[in-house]
Amino acid sequence: MMDRQGRGLSETVWTRLDRKAGAITELTIRQLRNRLSTWVVLAVSFLLLVCLLALFIGGVRDGWEPIDNDNDSHDWDGDGYPAGQEYKYGSDANDPFSFPGSGDFVQEDYFEWGGVGQHSGNHTWRYVTGTFTYNWIENNPIGGDVFLDVSNLDDCPEGEIFDDFWLDWGSGCSLAENSILVHEASFTGNGTFRTQEGFGGVWGYMEDVFYVEPEPASNYIDEDDIDWTGDPNKINGFDDDGDCLRIGWPGDPEPQWWWGGGHDPDGNGNGIDCDVQWILDSDGNVVAIYPDKNVDEDPSEENLAYEDAHRAFIIGTGKIAFVMILGIFLPLFLALGLVRDETENGTLHYLLSKPIHRGEFITYRILGYLIVAGGFVLIMSLFMGLVTASLGPGDSIFRLKDVIVWLGIAFATILALAAYGAIFNTLGLLSARYGVYIALVIGVYEFVMAVLTLGGAELIPVLSVSHWTLQLIDSIVLIVWPNTIEMHLIATAFQLPSGITAFWNPPVHTLGTESPFVSGLLSVIVLMMITSLMILFGQRQFKRREIM
Amino acid sequence: MSTKATPAVVIDKCSKWYGQVIGLNEVSLAIDGGVTGILGPNGAGKSTLFKLLMGRLKPSSGNVRLFGVDPWESTAPYRRVGYVAETEKLYDWMTGHDFVSTLARLHGMTREEASDRASHVLEFVGLADVQNKEIGKYSKGMRQRVKIAHALVHDPDLIILDEPLHGCDPIARTSIMSVIRDLGTQGKTVLVSSHILDEIERITEQIVILHNGRLLALGNLHAIRDLLDKHPHRILIRTENPRKLAEYFVPEDPVYGVRFAEEGALEVLTNDLSAAHSVLPRVIVESGLKITSIENPDDNLEALLGYLVGGSS
Repeated sequence: MMDRQGRGLSETVWTRLDRKAGAITELTIRQLRNRLSTWVVLAVSFLLLVCLLALFIGGVRDGWEPIDNDNDSHDWDGDGYPAGQEYKYGSDANDPFSFPGSGDFVQEDYFEWGGVGQHSGNHTWRYVTGTFTYNWIENNPIGGDVFLDVSNLDDCPEGEIFDDFWLDWGSGCSLAENSILVHEASFTGNGTFRTQEGFGGVWGYMEDVFYVEPEPASNYIDEDDIDWTGDPNKINGFDDDGDCLRIGWPGDPEPQWWWGGGHDPDGNGNGIDCDVQWILDSDGNVVAIYPDKNVDEDPSEENLAYEDAHRAFIIGTGKIAFVMILGIFLPLFLALGLVRDETENGTLHYLLSKPIHRGEFITYRILGYLIVAGGFVLIMSLFMGLVTASLGPGDSIFRLKDVIVWLGIAFATILALAAYGAIFNTLGLLSARYGVYIALVIGVYEFVMAVLTLGGAELIPVLSVSHWTLQLIDSIVLIVWPNTIEMHLIATAFQLPSGITAFWNPPVHTLGTESPFVSGLLSVIVLMMITSLMILFGQRQFKRREIM
Repeated sequence: MSTKATPAVVIDKCSKWYGQVIGLNEVSLAIDGGVTGILGPNGAGKSTLFKLLMGRLKPSSGNVRLFGVDPWESTAPYRRVGYVAETEKLYDWMTGHDFVSTLARLHGMTREEASDRASHVLEFVGLADVQNKEIGKYSKGMRQRVKIAHALVHDPDLIILDEPLHGCDPIARTSIMSVIRDLGTQGKTVLVSSHILDEIERITEQIVILHNGRLLALGNLHAIRDLLDKHPHRILIRTENPRKLAEYFVPEDPVYGVRFAEEGALEVLTNDLSAAHSVLPRVIVESGLKITSIENPDDNLEALLGYLVGGSS
């Protein structure tokens, strides 16, 4: 093909420009490749990602323990009853002496602190220290570890307690037949108690005691799944474990202050007790969830948490390892000296004695750097993608969408690399000596802005590259996995531990459209504008620069 | 080829200040065709002149034109210019061929063209056999030649060489000098700077002398040299018996006196250096003495400058 002046297509201005671009880009790549520091930085980055993957693979291999989302399976006070069962019976989940059927302790009298006291009778003794000589004592008491089990006490050592030997808090030892030495212990028995000097203690009796079989903790794990019919007009949410409806509860109908805080079965105010209100937009997307308290609050992890954690790993690694660490550090090491080092070495003279504009030169240098740094990021993201797609939860053997999200993360990171590369290169041009310090300050600033963005700040971080890069990832995630927003809402509404709420925020700069495409596109435009402006600024500086 | 209408290099009342220090002071020059030596001691303004020509520096006043174009504003003239900078740094990890062909591509050549041209110029500068070795393993002379090769790769009309012989051994010097002379005979405009008179003399007759940023002299070296020859000159001859040698020199016509300046050396004073040199071999043979060296202490740039500056003041 020939142009109007009869030159072959291979000889037009554009192809010549293309060849120059190719030559400088290639030279830059080869220079970076020949520098030890490049390999050190890439190797360190690679190790970081491999460590993260190792954590991920370890997590997948260990599998999941069911999570007690509402924390009611735990026996906080050690009385042998899980908190959920104590709530049901109205006993105090934080008081070891208060448990289902424990009755009420009625105090009769007490030992004075500081002196030596003695008292005889059939009592429940609490927090006493000293010797007890008895003719009857209750073996195998109910109520967990709070009561001393006298059936298998060791013999006391020779000597004086606290001088020659020590007893644990709440424990005791056998002095002789029908005589024990105890330290701050509680038990029920008939006999004479003599306190150790310097200790107090109380005695009394239990009222309305009855026996309740302690339930296993597993009864209170995953006991209230999310019941969403998919239709907001139906009644959604069901209080599977009954801790909202409280029908037929044996205990105090009014909950204690530390639990429930004046229980309101219709907290969302829709006139239906113990349900969950789902709000959809006109497109059928969930936009808000208002549950009544204690409804659907402990769902099975099978449906939600696996997927949540998996996505959170991808988003978290993408944002922190790729954008915040690779995105800032690779340019710091690779881009700062792109033109500065050539000037300092004097090798710039070879390049600038060729018919190439200084501005073009800067652009192609950055392009070369971007191919090295961006190529690395792309390969690493594909590598991460292959691993997570193969090991992730779900029925499919290979989660293709994982790979697409990873590619999106690579794309966002490469845009950040371009912007930081342009900024740092320009700084290197502006001041060979102080550029590196200013770049470090900018690096820290960008990191802080990224942390603020992760925390959900919308306004201040707008003046940073990292903010737009992270929002681009948020947008890509929402485009590829549209139900992420629903998972985010569910996790927030039911207060479930969620990595998605930690690492992902719904994109905010959607220009009022709520569309992730708009926020994504806007982010790309802003990042490209920052890059172009910084390159232009660098070009202007460099064009007017006298080179010695 | 440069057209007659626009000389390759035109410098018009050009000055360059570095703050309070002057690098080049109202220099005007027009150069086209052949080899021109830019001569001057260190700090005379040679590199400043070249950097102005290569658009690295902006003149403080006056104009610089390369093929009629201001090199500070446009890179277009570099299509026709090859520049060998003073810098000694090279991409040591590259092979010579790689270096030259990579830079050739910046002229818009394809990979193949660049490779062919690189091989060609490397052969021209005598590096054909080491072109695939890394530059880091090159000798000083080879490094200078690879720099020259990069400047020649696009067959430029104007070649600017900043101290190309600096630090080279005698063999490298000879080969670089012959390369520069060859370029001159090919009809190219060559500017070569040096602070050593003898080097320039072996390359060209056309010289520009810079001193303290000023243009001190311009023209044919022989004419300047003739002026210099008429000036009192010394020839220092080292021999085992200076007194005996003096006896043979005193009667000779161009010689007006002798001195025993230092141990084992005779200083012959003359007003006509070439005449004195022409009788020198005969006298030495007649004396039958063993001569270890013959030097012309006045035949250097400093002496020339001293003479020119002294003469002009």
